[in-house]
Amino acid sequence: MISRTTRKNLLGGHLVAWGYALIIIGPMFWILSNSFKRQIDILMGNTFSTPILTNYETLLFSRQSDFLMNLWNSAMIGVVSTVIVLVIATLAAFTIIRLEPPKWATALLLGWALVFHMLPTLTFVGSWYVMFSNMGLHGTYTALILTHVLHALPQTMFLMVGFLLNIPRELIQAARMDGCSYGQVFRRIVVPLSFGGMAAAGALAFIQSWSDFAISLNLSDQDTMTAPVAIATFAQEHQIRYGEMAAASVMSMIPALILILLGQRYVVRGLMAGAVK
Amino acid sequence: MKQTKTFLLGSVASAMLVAGPASAEEIRILINQSPWLNGFVAMVEEYEDQTDNTIELDVTPFGGMLEKTRNSVRGDDGRYDIVALNAAGMAEFYAGGFLKPLTEIDAEFALDENVLTFGGSTGWNFDTNGFSADGDLLGVPINGNVQVLYYRTDLYDEAGLTPPETWDDLMANAKALADDNTYGFIPRASRDSILYNFTSYLFSHGGSFFADPSGGDYSVTIASPEGLKALETYIALGNEAGPPNPGAIAQAELIQLMSTGRAAHAIAVVAAYPVLNDPNSSIVAGKVGTALIPAAEGEEHASAAGHWVAAIPKNVTGEKQDAALDFLNWFLSKKQQLFYVQSGGIPVRKDLSDSAGDNPSFAFLPAFSENASVSRMNMPLPQGSQISDAISLFLNQAVIGELTPTEALNKSADEMHRILTEAGYTLAEPSKL
Amino acid sequence: MATNSTRRRNALWRIGSLLPASLLLVALSIYPVFNLVGLSLSDVEWIDGRAHSEFIGFANFDQLFRHETVYWAGVRNTIIFAICAVTAQMIFGFSMALAARRASGVTRAVLTAVFLLPIVMPPIVIGAMWRLLLGRDFGAVNTLLGYVGIGPIDFLGNPDIALASVILVDIWHWTPFVFLLMLTGLESLDQEVFEAAKFDVRSPWQELRYVTIPLMVPTILITLGLRLVLSFKVFDEVYLLTGGGPGTSTEVINFSIYRTFFAQDRLGVGSAMSLLTLVAVAVLIVVVNLWIRKRRSKSQEATS
Repeated sequence: MISRTTRKNLLGGHLVAWGYALIIIGPMFWILSNSFKRQIDILMGNTFSTPILTNYETLLFSRQSDFLMNLWNSAMIGVVSTVIVLVIATLAAFTIIRLEPPKWATALLLGWALVFHMLPTLTFVGSWYVMFSNMGLHGTYTALILTHVLHALPQTMFLMVGFLLNIPRELIQAARMDGCSYGQVFRRIVVPLSFGGMAAAGALAFIQSWSDFAISLNLSDQDTMTAPVAIATFAQEHQIRYGEMAAASVMSMIPALILILLGQRYVVRGLMAGAVK
Repeated sequence: MKQTKTFLLGSVASAMLVAGPASAEEIRILINQSPWLNGFVAMVEEYEDQTDNTIELDVTPFGGMLEKTRNSVRGDDGRYDIVALNAAGMAEFYAGGFLKPLTEIDAEFALDENVLTFGGSTGWNFDTNGFSADGDLLGVPINGNVQVLYYRTDLYDEAGLTPPETWDDLMANAKALADDNTYGFIPRASRDSILYNFTSYLFSHGGSFFADPSGGDYSVTIASPEGLKALETYIALGNEAGPPNPGAIAQAELIQLMSTGRAAHAIAVVAAYPVLNDPNSSIVAGKVGTALIPAAEGEEHASAAGHWVAAIPKNVTGEKQDAALDFLNWFLSKKQQLFYVQSGGIPVRKDLSDSAGDNPSFAFLPAFSENASVSRMNMPLPQGSQISDAISLFLNQAVIGELTPTEALNKSADEMHRILTEAGYTLAEPSKL
Repeated sequence: MATNSTRRRNALWRIGSLLPASLLLVALSIYPVFNLVGLSLSDVEWIDGRAHSEFIGFANFDQLFRHETVYWAGVRNTIIFAICAVTAQMIFGFSMALAARRASGVTRAVLTAVFLLPIVMPPIVIGAMWRLLLGRDFGAVNTLLGYVGIGPIDFLGNPDIALASVILVDIWHWTPFVFLLMLTGLESLDQEVFEAAKFDVRSPWQELRYVTIPLMVPTILITLGLRLVLSFKVFDEVYLLTGGGPGTSTEVINFSIYRTFFAQDRLGVGSAMSLLTLVAVAVLIVVVNLWIRKRRSKSQEATS
């Protein structure tokens, strides 16, 4: 039985939720519609105009644009670096909070990660350019993936530390009493119980890689150029080409959205796995 | 993907068309994405057709050009055989000694007298540490972007006006055309653009930034009666004939207001011409004319250079440098420059107007040539970007009313003097108001 | 009991699990960070294509304190920015998470996907598009306000409200970050606690105040910390939206660093700015941490 106040609150909650949704969807819809408009219609702020496909055509078929390739590069770099960073950050987080490594090791690792996280990325890219050029790795996926992993590492590590703190200490102690090795504890208890956290931290790491401009600009070449760098070419010295930019953002948001929906599945499945325990 | 890489089975006949050694070297060019890129790409393809050389373009967002150029020329082995440098960045690369003097690649090489140098910006004098057409030849212009005055020809015809000769004329015309739906004039007064926009005002009022930059005297002269007059004119045009809050108008807003028919005049780069006259991006296409930027009564006209040069770094092989110079030499010829304009480029020669005929894509050439001939570099020294950041703020604060024009110029003078003295220049005391 | 081999494997595990993260940090971040420190203490000049670096002690910091007035305007704005934007993001993000959690099935999936859209957008597009949306003459926001008889408001041109406009865009952009973490935190809470507390709380507000929020404290703190650090590094919004103007009204620290370090190529002063900011934020974090610990131990004393 639902009381009247609960119902009122539920209704209130829905109103709040859809209110937020509206604030987000409004500009998104506006961008979507801009991707089908001429520059002048966008500049005039015209709500309705005959839809055109020129922006998408320029993006996909013009000889100066290779957007599908850029998207593929972004996806490839984003997915690989997310998987790597999730694995190494979760491993480190588990050891840090549950296996009592020496205090100095924890302090050094987390402290340095924090220092690195706080400094602006743009002050590093020059050094990375020199390092990767000397190694002959400039313009390769390897260089981009490594730097993207590093870039996302501090945040992912802090998040995983936070999420793993929610796993009851007793559970892990019990497993260890049963004779499980640390590796077994990690695989059988920590990973299933932190699927939700991993999905969230992974989504954020992926988005960070997906949006990165500064690193990708400096370490990529024409073959490994990522979508944000390609999109930035529409903000030109004398003109912002809003139509093409809108089309490019629509096309770059679709793959990311798919990832989010998949991630959602993971959250749910992870929770179910947790509930079964 | 290679953007324009067309592998050519060059025939013997086409190879013989080019003067000089026809080497089959592939060169790589770093260039920014822009509306004039189509013209440049057309030129590159034409060159590949005529010779058996190949050119690979690395097309980069404008916002990333500086970093990529620095990365390449500072290393031991450069990635690019030709780099494109814009007016604001030239001094840094010239002064840093990254570029190969073109006469060291080919002792015979010289610029044709009809090639514009935009205030001597093709060369660098390492003694005075400033631009000089007589110094080491380090770059050749590849995009002749300068500022011009834009005006609405239809409104002019209606009101029976003629293009302004002086700043007072411009003010009168702007006020005459202003109404509820039209701003008379749009200044480009946001912090990142104001110095460039203000430059032609300063020079054409007889003012200057430095005492004698080409002679190596960088004593600061911005805070002069002429400078004050220039800044007052700048602010008055914005306040009396412009939109509210001109201090936030950057290039994007300026072009938006012009192309939507909301403005009667603006001073902006000639690169905006195709944008303002394309029906897909402008409702006033065909109604926007160009003219020489006004000057104060009895003073000389001036425009600010906003062009690009191509330069050849020292850290690539001699063969690449030869091949790169061959391309640039070809690029500058009159015949190719006409083709460049037709393909959407902005030319770098002043002798094209007579060959233009009635072709509408050449309509901007007369005003372009006039402005380009009087265009000057505003910050002809390596500390230019630091100075321009500092004084842009003061000028912008004068526009939004946080400083009086006198305060803004005095502060600018002090700051310029401090920056240059700390950098080791010996200067006379700055002039003050 | 653990056997010898298990013990040895466990020892290996402890080292091995920390190794990848540590190696990566050592290999790729030590050089850039120390390089930055080195740059902040030197003056680099390029002569004949070669870098000439001279050690000049703290002269760059001296320069920063005495002459870089724009940076200090940026410090003030960044503090205002961080406090306002992060507070709003935490409140909105948390309430969105509560709302999404209450919804069920398809509604919830749709809501979640929609709520996440803004952080998926390329940052450069956020700046360009909001500049257009907030424009005075043609912006859609002013068009809408016009229907209800307000405006036009010059969101980005009026120096008095430009910073507020940038903050609004940042809230729009980054609230999903908080939302995602809060939703994950809420979902990982033990449902039994809520069942048990059912009879003690009289309203959802009480449940929120006495059950949900206390349980969410760890997640809230981590999210808050990450958001604070990120908002001290804000750049994308300002870069295309206002360029720091009009005047210095929207100048922020990272934009000063960008202009000094990149546009002006003054590596020394630019590095000094980054390091000074780093130290200030680090001190802030330590102080806040100590304060939280003190409060927590006090409240534990009070309850025991």
